[in-house]
Amino acid sequence: MKRIQDGIPGKLIAWMLLFCAVFMGASCGLKALQAAPYLGGESYQDTGQFRNLLREYQNQIAEAFALDHELEQADLTYVERQQIMERMQQLEQSLDPSATNFRFVVRSAGGEVVTSNLEEGTILADQVQEINYAFFILGEFFTSDAGEAYAAESSIPPGLSENTTSPGKTSQEKTVYTVECGVPSMDQLGTVQDDFAQISYRYYQANYCFSQWLIIAGVCLAAAAAALFFILWAAGHKAGVEQIVPTWQEAIFFDLYLMVMVIAGTALFALGWYLLECFYSYVVGRPQLEPEYGWLSAAVAAVCVLFAAVIALTLRTLAVRLKAHTLARTTLICRICGWLWRSGLELVRSLPLLWRIIAAFGAYFFANVILFTRSMYDGWAGLLWWLLNGAVLLLLCWWSLGFRKLRRGSQAIAAGNLSHQIDTHRMPHDLRCHAEDLNNISQGMAEAVDEQMKSERFKAELITNVSHDLKTPLTSIINYVDLLKTTDQTDPKALEYIEVLDRKSQRLKKLTEDLVEASKASTGVLSVNREKIGMAQLIDQALGEWTEKLEDRKLTVVTALPEGETWVYADGRHLWRVIDNLLSNCSKYAMEGTRVYLDLSRGHGQVTLSVKNISREPLNVPPEQLMERFVRGEESRTTEGSGLGLSIARSLTELQGGTFDLTVDGDLFKAIVSLPQAN
Amino acid sequence: MTHTILICDDDRDIVSALDIYLTSEGYQTVKAYNGREALRAVEQNDIHLILMDIMMPELDGIRTTAKLREDNNIPIILLTAKSEDADKILGLNIGADDYITKPFNPLEVIARVKSQLRRYTSLGGAEKGPGLLSVGPIAMDDGAKQVTVDGAPVSLTPIEYNILKLLLSHPGQVFSSAQIYEQVWNDPAYGSENTVAVHIRHLREKIEINPAEPRYLKVVWGLGYKMEKE
Repeated sequence: MKRIQDGIPGKLIAWMLLFCAVFMGASCGLKALQAAPYLGGESYQDTGQFRNLLREYQNQIAEAFALDHELEQADLTYVERQQIMERMQQLEQSLDPSATNFRFVVRSAGGEVVTSNLEEGTILADQVQEINYAFFILGEFFTSDAGEAYAAESSIPPGLSENTTSPGKTSQEKTVYTVECGVPSMDQLGTVQDDFAQISYRYYQANYCFSQWLIIAGVCLAAAAAALFFILWAAGHKAGVEQIVPTWQEAIFFDLYLMVMVIAGTALFALGWYLLECFYSYVVGRPQLEPEYGWLSAAVAAVCVLFAAVIALTLRTLAVRLKAHTLARTTLICRICGWLWRSGLELVRSLPLLWRIIAAFGAYFFANVILFTRSMYDGWAGLLWWLLNGAVLLLLCWWSLGFRKLRRGSQAIAAGNLSHQIDTHRMPHDLRCHAEDLNNISQGMAEAVDEQMKSERFKAELITNVSHDLKTPLTSIINYVDLLKTTDQTDPKALEYIEVLDRKSQRLKKLTEDLVEASKASTGVLSVNREKIGMAQLIDQALGEWTEKLEDRKLTVVTALPEGETWVYADGRHLWRVIDNLLSNCSKYAMEGTRVYLDLSRGHGQVTLSVKNISREPLNVPPEQLMERFVRGEESRTTEGSGLGLSIARSLTELQGGTFDLTVDGDLFKAIVSLPQAN
Repeated sequence: MTHTILICDDDRDIVSALDIYLTSEGYQTVKAYNGREALRAVEQNDIHLILMDIMMPELDGIRTTAKLREDNNIPIILLTAKSEDADKILGLNIGADDYITKPFNPLEVIARVKSQLRRYTSLGGAEKGPGLLSVGPIAMDDGAKQVTVDGAPVSLTPIEYNILKLLLSHPGQVFSSAQIYEQVWNDPAYGSENTVAVHIRHLREKIEINPAEPRYLKVVWGLGYKMEKE
């Protein structure tokens, strides 16, 4: 299907078919037109042509009698006599039975035969299909028809006795002759090829072929329509190209193209009409088929072909433009209108909003006043007033809808959904400008956040890689320090130095491990497998790990747990790290001899664990800063902590969809972990 | 009988440090500095255990392990600076027997080497029978009330023994503190599960080489405890 649509041969064939079909259809139509006058009647003798021709022959008889009568006059010059003789001869030849199928008998007023071109012993009634009657007055060139009724009733012309009474023409000397004439029926026509034979042939052909010509013309018309349809269907398609391909014709403005085509079409139509009239007057109804008029019908058909070409070309380019959706763009009027509209709109939009509103309101107000006052006595103005106010209401609704969309969009963006894009479709211009600005802002912010995330991720990767690289030399340091301890050192200073090295290398080890964990947790690289976890069980397990260490530091743990198990939705290992870090904090920084409070509570879909302890050192750092990396509540950095514990705890809690808060009240340090409760 | 241990790491200092530790423990050592050398050394020597780094030039530890496992079942302990779980799992799946993360504790290395060698050289495992429970290197003879780890006897308190027995008889199953308390103490649990956690920690310290990173007696945070199924 696509190949047929794309292929050039198919299009060529379609055009050829169109032209041929139009040409043939027109030719057949003309033939049918030519045959039309011969249609109807019982035989060819009923046609107008036949009647005209018969009258012509009758007149020839009258003329021959008149000329003969003239010859009898004595006062003729020789030349005149010769001329008349010549004409007489012509007429005799024309009426000779060997030259024509016309048979006649001329009778005098008394009824006896004066002359005839019948063969001896034959009578007219046998020779002809129908006897026609006419009469003429000797000396006059033209015959007159005898009444049908008279012909039927008697062989004696009725007017002959009475025609003397007709005024003006009546004269006792004038002799009236009756012409009985006729032509044989179609079957009995002799071999003589005269005009009667021609008419009979035409009659036969017309009646026999008329419907066929009409059918052929109809078929050709259908073929032309099909070809035209194919041309329109295949127009613009090209092999190997998915879209519609415009040609040079589509580069012309459609209205100009249409104008040229309309002019050409009108000219062709006029020419065709003229040729058709010529054809009609020359050919149709003429018994003689002059061969040189054959070109006329060909010319009419050719004009039809050109006319069809004009229509087909116009429709083709229209089809291509419609398919390519470029009709409006390639129409000059549309372009001009569009340009005017846009420039007008731009002019209006360049005005400040305030001015525009004032101007619009002024216009609205005046229109309102005028229409309202007119509506007192003019019903149409009243209707217009209603329409105007309805339109203004719709306009206001449109504005408010746009504003609502804008409002919702900015709310979404403000809520942190930076990927939100406000749909600016069908928005009033000013609101759309605003919405587009907002979209740009949100997009820019989303990009910035993305960029930040990327750099965080990069940082995490860097820290991880560096930590890995640190670990190898650190392994050697730890091991060789350990080996050094096994050597015999007598110098107490050396032993002390080794002790420092050992402590610091262990601290370095802890630091690198925490660093990797902190960076992973804060960038969300860690995988989180959330499941239902018993919070009381977890606290119990954590205390099992820490009880002894806390007791060593003389810290008492006081737990307050709700009845039954409290289920949360979290990753057990990460949550353990959070609690582990908090308890480790307590053991490191809580004042000895104090109590550590662990409170677990649930409600409103949240489970809250708070860990409270009294700090050994004054906490002169705000809580937000405590959660920053490498910040500790004390200035001396001699203790074992890395300063990453709270930062890791917060990151891990947030990874699990919870929140982590710190409060510092004097020396009271309180950490609160909230997690979504699981049912 | 002295065992020969292949030490393979691209860091020569780590190799020589390990060499010193292992030699002082009475082992013979063979050194290699990348995967190819390790493969050659295994061909040329009678090696009983391999300590191998993962990140090495030419042929890394993972690929070397895979190659060795084609025709060999020498115990392999991987040394790794990568502490991601994925690397450990990959190493164990490819055929390594154990892993130690850098920076490591020399004592842990010695302990793991000993453990692997005992398992490798002891002829067969402890025979299974009624009252004989074992998971990995941990074996419990309920008749003799004796627990051994890699053949070495471990002394446990009665409560620790009962907890271990409960977990050993259901490897892979998670027991909450309350369940353990009820089964071991034969009392309804009533807020005294804390003791269970403490006992388990003590137990872990006795049977695990590195209690902070247990291989067998594992804590399932927020749910309970379980004995890892082999």
